[in-house]
Amino acid sequence: MSLMDALPSPRLRWDGRHPNIVLVTLSLTMLAAFWLLDVVSMAPNRIVAGTGYGALDAFGWPGALLVTLLLSFIGILASQPSHRHYRALLAAVVVVMALMPVGLMASSYLLIDPEMSQARLGIGAAYWIVLFVLLLCLVELRLRLNLTRIWLTLLLLGVALVWWLCVAFGLERLALVQEFRARDQQFLSAVVQHIKLVGIAVSVSVVLGLALAMLMRRYARLQKSAFAVLNFLQTIPSLALFGLLLAPLAWLAANVPVLSQLGVSGIGTTPALIALIAYSLLPIVRNTYIALEEVSADTLEAAKGMGMRTGQRFWQVRLPLALPVLLEGVRITTVQAIGLTAVAALIGAGGLGTFIFQGLGQAAMDMVLLGALPILMLALVVDAGLGALAEALRPGGTR
Amino acid sequence: MIELSHVSKRFGDETAVDDISFRVPKGKFCALVGTSGCGKSTTLRMINRLIEHSEGDIILDGQAIDVYDPVKLRRRIGYVIQHTGLFPHWTVARNIGLVPRLLKWSAADVQSRVAELMHLLSLPVDEFAHKYPHQLSGGQAQRVGVARALAADPDILLMDEPFGALDPITREKLQDELAKLQSRLHKTVLFVTHDMDEALKLADHLVVMREGRIVQQGSPLGLLQNPVDPFVESLLGGLERGLKQASLTRVKDHMTSMGPTLPAQSRIPGTFSLRQALSMMLRDHSDRLTVVDQHDVPVGELSLRRIIKEAQLDNGNPRE
Repeated sequence: MSLMDALPSPRLRWDGRHPNIVLVTLSLTMLAAFWLLDVVSMAPNRIVAGTGYGALDAFGWPGALLVTLLLSFIGILASQPSHRHYRALLAAVVVVMALMPVGLMASSYLLIDPEMSQARLGIGAAYWIVLFVLLLCLVELRLRLNLTRIWLTLLLLGVALVWWLCVAFGLERLALVQEFRARDQQFLSAVVQHIKLVGIAVSVSVVLGLALAMLMRRYARLQKSAFAVLNFLQTIPSLALFGLLLAPLAWLAANVPVLSQLGVSGIGTTPALIALIAYSLLPIVRNTYIALEEVSADTLEAAKGMGMRTGQRFWQVRLPLALPVLLEGVRITTVQAIGLTAVAALIGAGGLGTFIFQGLGQAAMDMVLLGALPILMLALVVDAGLGALAEALRPGGTR
Repeated sequence: MIELSHVSKRFGDETAVDDISFRVPKGKFCALVGTSGCGKSTTLRMINRLIEHSEGDIILDGQAIDVYDPVKLRRRIGYVIQHTGLFPHWTVARNIGLVPRLLKWSAADVQSRVAELMHLLSLPVDEFAHKYPHQLSGGQAQRVGVARALAADPDILLMDEPFGALDPITREKLQDELAKLQSRLHKTVLFVTHDMDEALKLADHLVVMREGRIVQQGSPLGLLQNPVDPFVESLLGGLERGLKQASLTRVKDHMTSMGPTLPAQSRIPGTFSLRQALSMMLRDHSDRLTVVDQHDVPVGELSLRRIIKEAQLDNGNPRE
């Protein structure tokens, strides 16, 4: 509320009677996107670029009218906000999100001739924009309604369930689904490999990073040089780092038989992990160092004065108090590593990046999406999960 | 008993504490008073070896502190600091039980001791045991701080400006409670403060420090009557000194038996101070008060002349 009070013009303050400008704008954006941009695209086969279709072609008159009504309903409710209206808005947003795959089913029924066995449906720009804007609406509504994380997660899980049911039973024409069906085993192992790479890289970085941060606290001189090196590593483009590692690792694998038996080689998992760890160290070390140093001197002094030994002070006081900031570092690092691992596919490390680069090579955009969307989802899930964990670990609930 | 003899502390070329000696007998309350940066906190922290002294001897109960393991020494000494130093990630109960747990008491013993202390410091167990420090007011947090210091029943209590960050009303309340607590527990207390009124109110013995040296030490009344130099005098409040002295003396020690005249209109309990008696005389435009006991029964009488005469007498032979 203090931020609200600091706003210069009283007219900008939300006091219940003025329209919620954010939601009204978002609703208008969705309406514009829905009517002006392609809702879906249809291609007779995998390689040919699809033809775009607008709202009327995709959903027919009744469907387009229903969507328009729903989106306008959001705008109208938002122009006279009240607690009840916000609840109705939340319901409307969730309903629209749940109806989106049903719309795709409708357009595949309307647009695709069952005779054309190769024909496939692509998701158009309007769909993506509406989905994105709906998520923004959820963010705004979460603030207005003080929704807890659990409620929001449940709502999104419900929407995800509807999507999954539609995909499983009625959306075999969707290009994304066809790409998935063509390589479901490969997809699953790519997801596992992606998570494995990220998991190993992050856990090794956490251990190394903690050790490094502790050393820095003990030897002040180490601090500057270590941060200089880590900062430098961070500036090397990821592709270049993978390339730079190729030669020395290939040489090592050729000359040290033990290493090659352990699976070290110029390409593949080893260089990918080394590069991922190199990138992950900086955020981990920086956050760990800051977290440990920021613990209040008064508290630590009291711990010492009460007769806690050095180890007890570290494990019982310093570390638990540093944990939320430290976990923040792990969160940032993990999200970053999930993205970077996509690039690791280039040097044969596998993971979801494989689909992105194969798709780019074959000019099959839906295959790129098959790689990119799970990466995005993975990043969001990890972000939310670790964020919730850090929040739960705050001393006494808040600080 | 705490005994310091010729103790000094140097940080490089700088001398923070310079050849100080004083004694806190067992069960007595000693206040270290001085302006900030005079070395009073350093002195306190040398006793539980948070700072090692450079020269001299610090002796606790007949043993030089150097022979103790610092950690074991600190567990034997209660320690209260200004900003409480409570652990924000622990509940009130867990904070209070810290030292007993460090001393490996059984869980049941810790729990009953925590309950006992919370009761002693008027913190209802049901209401506060599971609260976190950020949910407490300043006064409540410092009560927890005191309870934590008393948890393992140490003989010695070190308090470093414990009430310095509190508002005046809460501070006064906690001072009163501490005085009451001390009259029951008889700990050997060393209390650091820059607030002379607080020191006069609580302490049996005052040590005034300035720039690392002791300027004067003695009983509160002794200091008030004979400050050695203008610095001590200004710390004692300059012209207010007479009133402060009056506030240390109780009415019932100076009253006379009821005269033949009619009882005065204004009544004052015998436990009040001469300062309060003076204030009442000013308020009621009267030079005579009737002294009553706790049941409001008149037991004597106090006149303005008597107060002034007593002050003269006191100046002649200081208390103690």
